[in-house]
Amino acid sequence: MRRRPTRREFGAGLALAGTVGLRWRPAIAQTNEVRVAMIAPLSGPWARQGQLMRMGADMAIEEINDKGGIKALGGAKLTLVVADAGDSTEKAKNAAQRLLAQDPDLVGGTGAWLSSFTLAVTEVTERAQLPMLTLSYSDLITGRGFKYVFQTSPTAGHQAAETLPTAMQLAETAAGKRPKTVGILMDNTAAPMSFAKPLRDGGLEKLGLKLVVDQVFTPPLSDATPLIEKVRSSRPDFLLLLLSAMPDNKLVLEKLDEFKLSKGRLPLVGNGSPLGTPELKNIIGADLLEGLLFSVADWPFKGDEEMVERFKKRTREPWMTQDGLSAYGDMWILKEAIERAGAADRIKVADAIRTMNLTTGPAALSFPGPIRFDENGRRQDVPMIFAQWQNGVPVTVFPAELALAKPYWLKES
Amino acid sequence: MKSAAARRRWAIVAVAVVVLIVSLVIRSAYYQLVLTQVLLWAVLSLAWNILSGYSGYFSFGHAAFWGLGAYTVTLGMINLDLTPWLGIPLAAIVGGLAGAVIGYPTFRLRGHYFALAMLAYPLAMLYVFQWLGYQELSLPMKRDAPLLYMQFADQRAYVVLALGLLVVALAVSLRVENSRFGMALLAIKQNEPAAEAAGIDTWRWKMRAIMLSGALAGMAGGLYAVVLLVVTPESVFGMLVSAQPLILALFGGVGSLWGPVIGAVVLVPLAEGLNGELGDVLPGIQGVVYGVAIILIILGAPEGVYWRLRDRFAKPRAAPLIAAEPVPAVTRSDARPTNRGDLLALRGIGISFGGLRALDNVDLVVREGSLHGVIGPNGAGKTTLFNVVNGFLAPDAGEIRFGGDQLTGLRPNQVCRRGIGRTFQVVRAFPRMTVLENVVVGAFVGAHDDRAAEQMARAALDRVGLADRAAALAGGLTTRELRLMELARALAPLPRLVLLDETFAGLGHDDLGGILDVIRRVREEGVTVLIIEHTMQAMVRLVDEFSVLDHGKLIAAGRPDEIVRDRRVIEAYLGRRWMDRVTDAVA
Repeated sequence: MRRRPTRREFGAGLALAGTVGLRWRPAIAQTNEVRVAMIAPLSGPWARQGQLMRMGADMAIEEINDKGGIKALGGAKLTLVVADAGDSTEKAKNAAQRLLAQDPDLVGGTGAWLSSFTLAVTEVTERAQLPMLTLSYSDLITGRGFKYVFQTSPTAGHQAAETLPTAMQLAETAAGKRPKTVGILMDNTAAPMSFAKPLRDGGLEKLGLKLVVDQVFTPPLSDATPLIEKVRSSRPDFLLLLLSAMPDNKLVLEKLDEFKLSKGRLPLVGNGSPLGTPELKNIIGADLLEGLLFSVADWPFKGDEEMVERFKKRTREPWMTQDGLSAYGDMWILKEAIERAGAADRIKVADAIRTMNLTTGPAALSFPGPIRFDENGRRQDVPMIFAQWQNGVPVTVFPAELALAKPYWLKES
Repeated sequence: MKSAAARRRWAIVAVAVVVLIVSLVIRSAYYQLVLTQVLLWAVLSLAWNILSGYSGYFSFGHAAFWGLGAYTVTLGMINLDLTPWLGIPLAAIVGGLAGAVIGYPTFRLRGHYFALAMLAYPLAMLYVFQWLGYQELSLPMKRDAPLLYMQFADQRAYVVLALGLLVVALAVSLRVENSRFGMALLAIKQNEPAAEAAGIDTWRWKMRAIMLSGALAGMAGGLYAVVLLVVTPESVFGMLVSAQPLILALFGGVGSLWGPVIGAVVLVPLAEGLNGELGDVLPGIQGVVYGVAIILIILGAPEGVYWRLRDRFAKPRAAPLIAAEPVPAVTRSDARPTNRGDLLALRGIGISFGGLRALDNVDLVVREGSLHGVIGPNGAGKTTLFNVVNGFLAPDAGEIRFGGDQLTGLRPNQVCRRGIGRTFQVVRAFPRMTVLENVVVGAFVGAHDDRAAEQMARAALDRVGLADRAAALAGGLTTRELRLMELARALAPLPRLVLLDETFAGLGHDDLGGILDVIRRVREEGVTVLIIEHTMQAMVRLVDEFSVLDHGKLIAAGRPDEIVRDRRVIEAYLGRRWMDRVTDAVA
């Protein structure tokens, strides 16, 4: 698998493919170059997230090379090879297989945003012993006993377990008292259902929370009025919002506003980076989002200010989200691992990732908590970050040592 | 038929050998993966083709079978530790059963309604599997016994497995094409009522087709899961999966053995190649190029590449299906002399369409061996009468006996099986089949094997004097030849009774004479004939007995010379004023 394709193969492959053969990337490994991969959706419904990842990765590569490349390899430049994971698991898997076949000198990579894509891609990279970093949450990714996949985000299970306790701490810090009651408003799609299941199965009780209103609907929502009326009449201390579709988010937030429950009057808590995208602001408006809290695997925090400024200037994005930040950090993790391995060798690089424990430097500044993986490839001691919409921007507000702004829990107006 | 089938068998072997050689030459795991996908999508497209290509029942929902196959293998492996070596055959069974479950209600619909209903199944399953919590499943890696669980380090093993499935799918397709199965499906595609009336149990063949198709699709979906290793509802039940076999077959040639394969060989690598070459520079451009390629092909070869190439390069289909052999005289063994009693008896038949009483308390008796005419002005209910006898319509009242059997409530093919053939007012031919094939379709019902059916068909063509046109395509026949061909199709299974619906319509005087002779000869051979006509002249010379219908009622019955004098008949045909003149003349 780790050999260059011959000319005959090339011809046969091309004939088989019947493709236009526009650009063949000769797999020539220059001695002063180390190649790493990014497999992300650049077309299809998740193209935007892939583009954001690419922006972050490109910036990291440029910085690494500007600062003298890989010092352990005599200043070798880091080169990013990008493949489009497209819109299906099949295409994602093909992209991985293609990269590995055409680029036998790859030493590591990142991808592939959507967890089902990551699952398919890592089936290939695992067999090729190529270390892959990923921001995907799914517990299955690092639950298969694989040795060459490293998950920088806390798993979905971990996030579900940590979101509410962290929110309680946040409330205590910000408002001075622990909430006693909670409401849940969610749709019945997969992610919200698996998020909420442990909460209903005793999780809330353990936290001393009483569930006073529990509303589950099948998307799409046509009218949020009855749901929000129930929320208003039962008056929970805060509302857990688990909605997967943008239009439902909009309807619910609009209706909350109409019932005078928005803008911090009823604390709203959600989960996941989609709640902090610039697109959300464009669709829903800064006004309705004001005060919304969401837990997220990774979000720019204290110490990242300068880097975020560079990113905004480069890309003209209004702020940096998890996608760009994680991909940026992944490049730095790979750089660090190559330095430690002292060779452009994927197995050694994987070993270096397995044994690293970074607490300083650009890699460590890209993720909350230390860069240290357990034997499954999951990161250890990762605090759950909370970001809050404040004046039209989602900023990290918790935990305090990472916060870029102070959170507020209730805002009486 | 034999030599052509043998040639195509060898072509399948040749394709398999070529694929094997290609898989040995290319050592890149990536190209091997793409080759595997080409083969798997070709199998799905062939599976789709067995149902939709041959029978014309377009399915927008083959992802249902593919996805069930994929989940069968995956869940079997995760929950029961079932190896894919058993899981894939199981996936075929699941696919076949799903075909039965889906086909049973859905075949009540036709045309676009069928296609749209099929669309619903995979979409519904997508949600069901999400709801069941199977959003993301991964086939566990078996480091201890990889071979036992179909996990090979060498991608070529998957090429070989997928090739095996392709050979199975091609062999099945070939067998279907060259048997009464394929003929029945083609007949259904071209004219389902005619197929049913010609004795083809359309329901049974359609069910068989969807089950076979589902089994092949399930099998391929099972191997797809093994190759992809990750199964999500979107990746196996999604719209793109349902669209893929359709696009490949439309591109390559619907209803042909090689069309789906051509489609897969060209389009799958094209899409993947564009994605690989342009995906990081101009993301999304591959979809545009792919779409343009398909549009160009549709403009240049609307029926698909295969048919276009065949029309261009293949010699026109010359020879008869089998080498001409002397045709043994085939006639009905129980042919009896004339005037033997009642063959067909209708008692009190009535049927309404909304407020219109199309048939009202009609009694009609056809004696065995007679040539019986049913006449009446337009709208009298003649064709409705035939549709009731032949099973297209169920009467509201009354009963029909044939020989001693009760016919009421039988489906057309069952009526045909009991020995009643029919022709249609507007000829219902299978235009893309040869004359001989058209007639063979009719002969199946009376033949125990395909060879016998062909002999009966040839004999029938001989009887109507159309033997020299056996190899012509039905689409190119004259009206007279079409009428004769349809008559031959009705006569081929040696029925005791034929129903002829306005056989003389659209014929000139010269043609008419020829057909009258054929009908007389048929009767002389012992077949009872019931014929509808509204022009009286031809009938008076032909028939033994008349029944006259007007406004759904039987107004007269008797010998021709009696009927032409009957006041009610003249009034029905010509109105009261004419009747007065006729009665004067007679007096």
